[in-house]
Amino acid sequence: MNTAANHAEDAIGNGVKNEKQAAAATDEPMSLAQVRQKLKGVEGKRLSTPQTKTNLRGPRLSTPQTKTNLRGPRLWRSLDELADTPEFRAAVEKEFPTAAQEWIDPVSRRGFLKLMGASMALAGLAGCTKQPEEPIYPYVKAPEDLVLGEPMYFATAHPFPTGAVPLLVKSSEFRPIKVDGNPEHAYNRGGSDPLSQGTLLGMYDPDRSQHVLYRGENRQWEEFVEAFTGKVASTKDGTGIYFLSATITSPTLARQWKAVQTAYPKARLVQYDPAIAGTWAEQGIGFQADLSSADVIVSLDADFISGPAYPGFHKLVRDYATRRKQPEKGMNRLYAIESATTTTGMKAEHRLLLRASEVPAFTAELAKAVGVGGVNPPAWDWTAEQKAYLAALVKDLKANSGKSAVLPGLYQDRSVYELALAINGALGNIGKTVFVSEDTVNPLPSDQLADLKALVADLNAGKVDWLVMLDSNPIYDAPADLDFNSAFNRANIAVHLGSHLDETGQISHWHVNSAHYLESWSDCRAYDGTVSIVQPMIAPLYNGHTAHEVLQSLLNQPMLSPYAAVRETWMPVIQKNEKVPGDQELAWRKVLHDGWIEGTAFDKTAKANVQAAYHGAVPTPTAKDSLEIIFRPDPSVYDGRFSNVGWLQELPKPVISLSWDNGALMAGALITKLGVAEEDVVELSVGNGKAQAPVVAMPGHPQNSVTAYLGYGRAFAGRVGSGQGFNAYQIRYTWAPFYAAGSIRHVPGKWGVAITKSHYQDHRSTALLGQGSGDNSLEGDEALGPRGIVRYATLDEFKANPNFAHEGERYDTPSLDTSLFPNWDYSKASTENAWGMSIDMNSCVGCNACIVSCYAENNIAVVGKQQARIGRTMQWIRIDTYFEGDLAAPRAHLQPMLCQQCENAPCEQVCPVGATVHSPEGLNMMVYNRCVGTRYCSNNCPYKVRRFNFLLYSDYETESLKLMRNPDVTVRSRGVMEKCSYCVQRIQEAKITADKENRPIRDGEVITACQQACPAQAITFGNLNDQTSRVTKLRAMQRSYQVIADINTRPRTTYVAEVSNPNPELEETPVEHDPAKG
Amino acid sequence: MPQIFDRSSNALARMSLVLTGLIVIALGVMLDQLQRSPWVTRQGQRPDQPVPFSHEHHVQGLGLQCQYCHTTVEKSSYAGIPPTRTCMNCHAQIWTDAQLLEPVRNSWYTGESIVWTKVHDLPDFVYFNHSIHVNKGIGCESCHGRVDEMPLMYEQNTLQMEWCLNCHRNPAKNLRPTSEIYNMVWEEPTPYRPVWCAATADKTGVPTAQDVNCTTRDPNSGEAGGQMAALQSPPGPGQGTEGAAPPIPVPIPSAAPYQKFTSQDELGHFLLVHYKIKSPRLITSCQTCHR
Repeated sequence: MNTAANHAEDAIGNGVKNEKQAAAATDEPMSLAQVRQKLKGVEGKRLSTPQTKTNLRGPRLSTPQTKTNLRGPRLWRSLDELADTPEFRAAVEKEFPTAAQEWIDPVSRRGFLKLMGASMALAGLAGCTKQPEEPIYPYVKAPEDLVLGEPMYFATAHPFPTGAVPLLVKSSEFRPIKVDGNPEHAYNRGGSDPLSQGTLLGMYDPDRSQHVLYRGENRQWEEFVEAFTGKVASTKDGTGIYFLSATITSPTLARQWKAVQTAYPKARLVQYDPAIAGTWAEQGIGFQADLSSADVIVSLDADFISGPAYPGFHKLVRDYATRRKQPEKGMNRLYAIESATTTTGMKAEHRLLLRASEVPAFTAELAKAVGVGGVNPPAWDWTAEQKAYLAALVKDLKANSGKSAVLPGLYQDRSVYELALAINGALGNIGKTVFVSEDTVNPLPSDQLADLKALVADLNAGKVDWLVMLDSNPIYDAPADLDFNSAFNRANIAVHLGSHLDETGQISHWHVNSAHYLESWSDCRAYDGTVSIVQPMIAPLYNGHTAHEVLQSLLNQPMLSPYAAVRETWMPVIQKNEKVPGDQELAWRKVLHDGWIEGTAFDKTAKANVQAAYHGAVPTPTAKDSLEIIFRPDPSVYDGRFSNVGWLQELPKPVISLSWDNGALMAGALITKLGVAEEDVVELSVGNGKAQAPVVAMPGHPQNSVTAYLGYGRAFAGRVGSGQGFNAYQIRYTWAPFYAAGSIRHVPGKWGVAITKSHYQDHRSTALLGQGSGDNSLEGDEALGPRGIVRYATLDEFKANPNFAHEGERYDTPSLDTSLFPNWDYSKASTENAWGMSIDMNSCVGCNACIVSCYAENNIAVVGKQQARIGRTMQWIRIDTYFEGDLAAPRAHLQPMLCQQCENAPCEQVCPVGATVHSPEGLNMMVYNRCVGTRYCSNNCPYKVRRFNFLLYSDYETESLKLMRNPDVTVRSRGVMEKCSYCVQRIQEAKITADKENRPIRDGEVITACQQACPAQAITFGNLNDQTSRVTKLRAMQRSYQVIADINTRPRTTYVAEVSNPNPELEETPVEHDPAKG
Repeated sequence: MPQIFDRSSNALARMSLVLTGLIVIALGVMLDQLQRSPWVTRQGQRPDQPVPFSHEHHVQGLGLQCQYCHTTVEKSSYAGIPPTRTCMNCHAQIWTDAQLLEPVRNSWYTGESIVWTKVHDLPDFVYFNHSIHVNKGIGCESCHGRVDEMPLMYEQNTLQMEWCLNCHRNPAKNLRPTSEIYNMVWEEPTPYRPVWCAATADKTGVPTAQDVNCTTRDPNSGEAGGQMAALQSPPGPGQGTEGAAPPIPVPIPSAAPYQKFTSQDELGHFLLVHYKIKSPRLITSCQTCHR
């Protein structure tokens, strides 16, 4: 894979030169000779030349130095940009960088002219296509409730090891086509996350395994059951029968297991989830926080903002964001102590960078300072800044007793969790902002790593007869020190129940294809404990089976369906809920309809078992100059279970905007120290394990540590996931599952990675400001300067000057008569609806849920790594990350960027065929069928939000994907431009419904896909002609501003400027991590 | 050196120029015609169907209502193709041995769909919605033609974009009272066949169709009051040319004054206002049909 990428890169490199010459020749008044001179030796976006290496990081600056340097480059969007290498400048001068006009097959100029001649001649005929005859397949017996063409919605839930996500699934003709949060559920109230959104494609994944296999040959499920039950029965007591399961989240499955245990007392169950094992979540999550009343939030390496990997993500983010929407009414303050750069740290007012092993010690210091008894923090040489941070934090926490929340990191030492509880207890937060319950979302808590070790010991001792693996993939993800692979061969028979014929399935004797959660009955509990019934949306596509059926086959009623089993579990509870004991069936149906069972939330009033004093040991940090390797589940593919979901693979990871790969994520300082550049290959070693990974710079990462995301390097994930990235499980051990001391060295080779961030640039910045002297950020000059792309203030500044977002040179929109073109009439008399969107920069947490939601809603194609590398991703919405300040400790501003639906749109004026035109309601419509692919519109778009189908990206062949598509949106073919449409299909649907009912469209009736998915409610959409709509009110806020409106585009999308709430005792700029001291 | 070309070749050269021009024009005209021809649009073609289903027989002969089969026409973008079960409702009792119905019985027994060939086939990038048209006073017949006179189904109109826009630019010329949507024989009002309509005040939340009552018999003639007019029974099978309202028991407020219309233009504009048809500017916007 590595070499393939390099070859491709070389090939592209040649294309670049031509492209650059062309671009430079047209864009700038430069002679061709000058251009050639300038471009000498430039090869694409590589940072391999020595001068680049030194430039990449630039001289290290202390905070005051940084501040003085902030005249211009206060914001930058990528390391390249800050370094402002010549290559970078060449790249920004183009609309789509790198080989934007590459031919897949080399075509000579003569051949090209011939082809063009022929196509010109045929162009007129192209319109005369005769449609093929199409068949109609009507139902034989139509389902009673079906109105063909009208979608239906069903409640279900996505079982996830950190707590279920309640869902409402849109179903078109009984095919699930869109997964969204359940808007009526108290836990997530409609919000979702990228992973839950991605499960839809996971279900329709064409690479799912479709058969029961025995030694590679097709078998029937019944044959498996016969062999399995026969074997288990012959053991009498279950001796030698071992189950290895992913974390069990289903109470019914737990009940079934307990029944199996009773019948076969010697059968063993081991649960193992690589991203759960070794965390406090494996013991079940009894920890709940309610941030709606927390004024001070402290994250102890708790990345609760990035995604559902942290328990309670949806609720925590929503409450966090709600408290930031109206700064005038007070807002919360977030302190993030973190060991790898995450959006939690980027959103925090005060971020303290610590190496992972320093966090427990720091937590102990914090605990001691707030008055937790019995803590003995290990002696450690804290820097002055760290001490100042701690002092300010303690003071702030004490001042906000009962109104603060301290969140423990999931991937930290156990002592952090215990101490965080004790801190919350000492501050009087328990029962107010923090709750501890006895019950947990994981009904069978266990010590997963110890159990797994015991299993391996039993395997090696030959005690394991049948090893039944339920939705788990230990061959891929077991810790390296267990040598699971060789132990595995000691089992007599290995059974693998899984959705894919993955690494484990390949070598198991039996492989049983499993049913997806959208295809089967089950149950699970959300963060707050509320039980959701998982109901199927579609019959299993490939006759898959579930763990419920495997366990049930050993019990008295072996044929009892999962449906019956789930009903059996919950009917007593449901009946008890019924005030008037009556129709059981009706009560059950209500539960299915609502999506949850009333009264099943955990008891939060129970006296929490919080120790006043802590007696456990707190580990001493590793030496400051030693290298630490941090393991985290990937924000996009988690522990590898979503590897084959193209939407998630192509998703730029938060902060680093890396797609299709993981990498050795490290600070610029470490890159400089190692003498490497991005895309160089390094070898990470922990113990005896070694893994090679590409270098990817992560701004704000602690020096002397490297972050490796889990979930990559899959060998048998499927057509999408196989071979992407490197396998970090190779260097992960049971004794150090989330951070370990290790070493790193540079090895020869190049590893092309697809970083999507610098691909969309506005080249006018150079001309505008004429800067660019090496340590300058062109975009930074613009973003914070005249362009005002990002505008923010502190709470005090905002109170002193509520109009800060409009006070800057060229910050404001030109008056309506500055256009050559006649103005559109959007008055209420002319059009009932004028659509607009408002995005709250204060709320956006950069979790990417909107992007995946948009993929599903708008049938967006996945382009693959090579195309992503050259900037051709098709995502209609992207999250721009503008970094501010010193590289070593930056601050980031997250800005969702999508088509702004300009009222005076530059794209419309240049389309030669009228393919992009203006609607009376203010949308920029894209008429795919008229588009001839000149790409003038994209060239002229100042926001760079148009996407072009350079190749045939949409999959017209794969049958299973056809079922998934939204029938209301055209699937775009090659050569067509596309962009965000404000979900025009939803607007039209609402208009027709409202028109039939003879009423105006209600506020909130049209919800765009991105808005619907957002767990933080950062996006609001509505009618600007309705003076009472939420979007109108948001736009009327003084903080609302338009991006690049000074060029008279009059965007319909507005942004609400950020306000932060820093602690006056700490410096406004984030505390700097001083690498000289560690 | 003698001249290679004779003087007469000048004329030939000029002629060839003119001819080339003519050929180009002719080619253009031909392509234009071809594009609109039934060969491309399939207008008027009767494709082979598994069962030679006669709309004429079922609609005119037996008097089946359109919605008996096309059940979702008022609710959804699709009018709906009836499931085999709908056929079997009757054909389990009558014509149970007919050879023609073999595919229907076969489908019923095997559970396989009857595979029809689409007659009205819009391109895939066009999103047409039946329900809004039916709710706003466009009759089936306006687009599909006299289905009750089609022994075999065919496409009456081209379904090309120019045809759509023809109406969207001026909807008034095709509007009819919603009570007459399913009437195959509705004719536009003339001085000899006037239409009387009464409109009540518009109420938000109440479909516009319920605001307007129309009748083809003079409601002021004493013999039949407004109430009666609205309750006229529909014409029997094959009977009469004059349309009438289906029996929708909508009480007519006595205060509503009836207006007399003697031309489609007058009636269309009256309905345009009362059905709140959006302005041509809005309904000819691309987003109306393309997404």
